[in-house]
Amino acid sequence: MTWRRVLWGLLLLAVIALGGFTYVVGGPGNLIGMLRYDQREKGSLAVGERAPEAELWSLDGRFGQPLLAPGRKRPLVLIFGSFT
Amino acid sequence: MHQGYEGRVDFLTVYIKEAHPLDEWQMGTNVEEDVCYRQPRQFDDRLAIARDFISRFSFPIPLLIDGIDNRVMNLYSGWPERFYIIDPMGIIRYKGVPGPFGYHPEEVEAWLRENVGESTLSETTSEAPTA
Repeated sequence: MTWRRVLWGLLLLAVIALGGFTYVVGGPGNLIGMLRYDQREKGSLAVGERAPEAELWSLDGRFGQPLLAPGRKRPLVLIFGSFT
Repeated sequence: MHQGYEGRVDFLTVYIKEAHPLDEWQMGTNVEEDVCYRQPRQFDDRLAIARDFISRFSFPIPLLIDGIDNRVMNLYSGWPERFYIIDPMGIIRYKGVPGPFGYHPEEVEAWLRENVGESTLSETTSEAPTA
């Protein structure tokens, strides 16, 4: 049972260290924000699989723009992101 | 990177849900740089922010915008920022880890160097929206 306590203790220390690091680097708002709003996901798509097609909006507000555009002759680098 | 592979590789930015909006996980750096927006609840609000982004940085890479239902973001688990490389057959050849910790443009460039050839630029660049 002792090793379990040690493991739990180490885990607790790691959590405290991570929380402390985030607090120091980003402030309390960042720690709270991370706990409340972090939505990062590994995702189920994998290298070697077919990329799913989808439709998006253009900057002039038209819907139906294809993500992958079938018939493409070159590799496509997709960059997901936002301003903030 | 975009310039260095122009004509040999297509680049597309998918504008998705804000990473650090005012009403969620606001970052001090965004306040300093005057990048302060609330999380859009309607598509027109997201469209307006994307247009601000393009206008402010003269962003040269083609950009399309995800719907307010975040369908494409969820499909690709793209939040807050992420790279993929899709080959001409539609197969995923590279899947990055979500940013900011997994945000590595140099991995994308390494793949391109190996599979497409050297960049026409000598320096490694990382043109992409920050989150």
